[in-house]
Amino acid sequence: MKKKGSGPRQYTGVSATIFTIFLWAYAIFSLYPLLWMILYSFKDNTEIFQTNPFGLPQVWRFENYVNAWNQYDVPLYFKNSVIVGAGTVILTIICAMMFTFAVTRLQWKGRDAARTFISTGQFIPVQAILLPVVQTVAGLHLMDTYWSLILPYAAINLAFSCMVYYGFFKGIPKEMEEAACIDGASIWQTFFLIIMPLVGPATMTIAIYVFLSAWNEFLLANVLVGTTAHLKTLPLGVLFFQGQFTTDWGSMGATMVIASLPAIVVYCLFSEQVEGAMTTSGAVKG
Amino acid sequence: MKKYLSNRKAIIVFCLPAIILFCVFIFVPILQVFYYSFFDWDGVNQATFVGLANYKRLLLKDPVFKTANLNGFKFGVVITVYQLVLATIFAIAVSDKRIRFRKFFRTAYFIPVVLSVTVVCQLWGNVLNADNGLLNTLMSRLGINWSQNWLNDRNTAIYTVAFVNAWQWMGYQFALIVAGIKSIGEDFYEAAEIDGATSLKAHWYITLPLLKDTFNFCLLISVTGGIKAFSEIDIMTGGGPGNATYTLTYIMYNYAFGRQKFGYGLTSSAVLVIECLVIILALNWLFKDRENPLFSRRKGVEIV
Amino acid sequence: MKKFLCILLAAMMVIGCASAMAEEKIKLQIYAQYADDDTKVPYDYAVEKLAEAYPNVELELIPQAQDDGATLLALATAGKLPDIYQTGSGIVTTLRNSKQMMVINDVAEKTGFLEKVYETEKQYMIADDGNMYAFPYAGQEYVLWFVNNALFEQYNVEIPTTYDELIAAAEVFNANGIVPMALFGQEGWISAAMYDAIATRYITAGIKGLDNGATSIEDEAYLKAAEDLVKLAKAGVFQAAVTTTNYDQASEMFLGGKAAMFLNGQWYIEDATKALGDDVTWIAYPSYDEASYEAGKHAFSGGGGSISGYAVNPDSPNAELAAEVAAFISEKYCEAKVTLRNNPLVAVNTGLTNDQLPKMMQDLVAEMPNMTSTTAFTWGLTNTTLANAIGVAGQSLLSGQYEAQEVIDQLTFELGW
Repeated sequence: MKKKGSGPRQYTGVSATIFTIFLWAYAIFSLYPLLWMILYSFKDNTEIFQTNPFGLPQVWRFENYVNAWNQYDVPLYFKNSVIVGAGTVILTIICAMMFTFAVTRLQWKGRDAARTFISTGQFIPVQAILLPVVQTVAGLHLMDTYWSLILPYAAINLAFSCMVYYGFFKGIPKEMEEAACIDGASIWQTFFLIIMPLVGPATMTIAIYVFLSAWNEFLLANVLVGTTAHLKTLPLGVLFFQGQFTTDWGSMGATMVIASLPAIVVYCLFSEQVEGAMTTSGAVKG
Repeated sequence: MKKYLSNRKAIIVFCLPAIILFCVFIFVPILQVFYYSFFDWDGVNQATFVGLANYKRLLLKDPVFKTANLNGFKFGVVITVYQLVLATIFAIAVSDKRIRFRKFFRTAYFIPVVLSVTVVCQLWGNVLNADNGLLNTLMSRLGINWSQNWLNDRNTAIYTVAFVNAWQWMGYQFALIVAGIKSIGEDFYEAAEIDGATSLKAHWYITLPLLKDTFNFCLLISVTGGIKAFSEIDIMTGGGPGNATYTLTYIMYNYAFGRQKFGYGLTSSAVLVIECLVIILALNWLFKDRENPLFSRRKGVEIV
Repeated sequence: MKKFLCILLAAMMVIGCASAMAEEKIKLQIYAQYADDDTKVPYDYAVEKLAEAYPNVELELIPQAQDDGATLLALATAGKLPDIYQTGSGIVTTLRNSKQMMVINDVAEKTGFLEKVYETEKQYMIADDGNMYAFPYAGQEYVLWFVNNALFEQYNVEIPTTYDELIAAAEVFNANGIVPMALFGQEGWISAAMYDAIATRYITAGIKGLDNGATSIEDEAYLKAAEDLVKLAKAGVFQAAVTTTNYDQASEMFLGGKAAMFLNGQWYIEDATKALGDDVTWIAYPSYDEASYEAGKHAFSGGGGSISGYAVNPDSPNAELAAEVAAFISEKYCEAKVTLRNNPLVAVNTGLTNDQLPKMMQDLVAEMPNMTSTTAFTWGLTNTTLANAIGVAGQSLLSGQYEAQEVIDQLTFELGW
């Protein structure tokens, strides 16, 4: 037993121990691929498939990274990924925040229908609408611009973002607008100066989710910017190591590490904010 | 006040960007999917109207349609059970101040979500390889005679693939439930503790019922996730062995891009969209008893 | 820790924003295979030669995605095909109807490409409408049944000529932890090729007959071949994970001495010889009995040629130039294949010879006049439904978990579009 008064007391006993072991085991189970991916990026095909798929590399093949770096313009792809990711996040958040504000705080007929309409987007597989989307993007003459990726990505992430915002907006007490109204603030001022800062925490959460989804997207990127060298994003780098019959898996691993690392770093940097955000969402109840 | 909140100009300005974006890139494409499902079309050239022929063939004659639906169902069940059960347990655990290293656990459980599907499938494909995968190798070293043909068995491969999806996205549901618990607030637990309820009881009677809306949302995500499953199947089994792990999305991909039968492929998509909508409605009906159907409403926020 | 991560992120941003400078040259996009030595070596060689012959042209490589033409089709839908692209038979009809594939008759003549194409390949280069659409580089290619003789000797196993012998051999190999036959059954085309190799024992047209309508899937031969393949699979001739094994995994097994047999195209000769030397040879496909083995000794799977190679996008701003470059590149591919890859089976007579051919290639060249029949690879089939469905069917059979009748029924349904 821990002494009382030294913070919350810990669980003790056999079942608690078993549960703790379970928590740790699953954490390892979750983290292993990261480690595996990093190890794999230093191996060659023989080691990956035959002699040593899971251990430390027998020879550390840094040349895989050199290969990956030389094969395609990593800095350019990286820059594109950043621009597309950031653009998607900004656009999604602007659209979702305004929309959710309108359907939760403003009073009009058909707001529930509008909300349901948008939320169906959460359940549409991208593959199913791939071709029409490509035709639309081409029809709007957006090809060869960053918008060719940013707009579809934002549309895809809209439903989820609205759903998350909805909960937060609902939690804001009516008195907020009432007070603002009495103070003579316009509806626009209310939105930008009062509501927007209040849902900041949710914005942080959404930003991370949307960024990750845009960062890792492959299918649309392959079709929409696959033949536009100056717009290619990092996931497309994998293609340089994939042939019809054979693949240089080690260099592909290096490419995957290069592509995943920023996402992991971003998550580790901001995850705390997200959690802080989630906590304060309770405080909104005021 | 009422007038203040029904400012028409404001409503239009606030709604329009989202509505336009959604219509142009999601809704109109969906309409196009339905439109082309009545055509014989190779994806590039002029399409020929064929009426209901694609639907007749898919729904009534194609044996793979049944396989695909069954697979979608199995996939959905596996990921729903796996994700909801584990995510709930872990979310409750890391929300409990008496458990140590909570921050670490939170990051660890979420990490798979951060990785790309390609990376995740590469890993699991190698772990589950029947010939030299980690799992079978490990079992034979430990003397357990239970090596399985994880990804190559006609009857069970779909479960394996579903597991990989469940493993990756568990963190997603986990984060949602953690947020849900946070919004309930600690007062509940404290009250429960004073009452002398054991933690298990407190969670069972207090936490879970209050998370009903969050669960509804999670359930929607995982069930429809099952029906629209694609990437894991594409990367790990390629629909195989044979067509044993086909789903509706895979039928669409295979016909559209593999055989240049876009009309037929999009028919499969259309059926998929309809199935998803039916499921949304069914789940909403099941969870009905409050005003807003589709959204996770943080009830806790309002109760307190 | 946090500070470190911030610095790392900042560093990545800085690197990310330092992008490359563009040069003043005519840029042509080329959608090409570029992954292993067999595709990289010819490409790099062609690029090097191109720089000498066309100093004002710069190629921008778009590596081909491993997706059975899905990307190409999607690009066509978007009207965004690259200037030059690698094409197979299946998509030619679609793209030439949509006018996204340039008729290259004039260029083929003007550049002298047509003159240099071997007579045997010319017939495939010209489509049924009398036009030419792609500059071929691959010649007749064959499916070869490779064996590692060292393993056969080590375990005292005879080279099989019948399925019974093959199954007996498989038992010995399996008992010793050797995979009898490694197959990358994740890929549809090799699954189809395996089935085709067996089918040709009954009906020499194999899957090619289904493509041109000479035979019907309801012919008994196809069912019998399916039954044979299921029997082999059930007897453990292939590795357990055959349906999810990719090329690299299967090839590593064979080259690493962990598999006794391997099925692949003749282009694999170079890699096999490099790794296993004289231990590896190719054999006539085993058959259901001695008589049919003897009868079918010179009947091969594969071959057949196809309308494939480099095609040109007529909407390219430099279409004419792109076509010339495509012709040039295809010819250079042939040179590279002959001299650098020891593969004389190319489409164009480059005037180059190679007297250093590996033993297996010499055997194959010697065998070619004796060949009684060939079939086709899936990318040489014009019926896209067949090309795709036969791969799925082949994989079903390879898994040993489907009944032959069931697979043939499914195939009958799918082909009866």
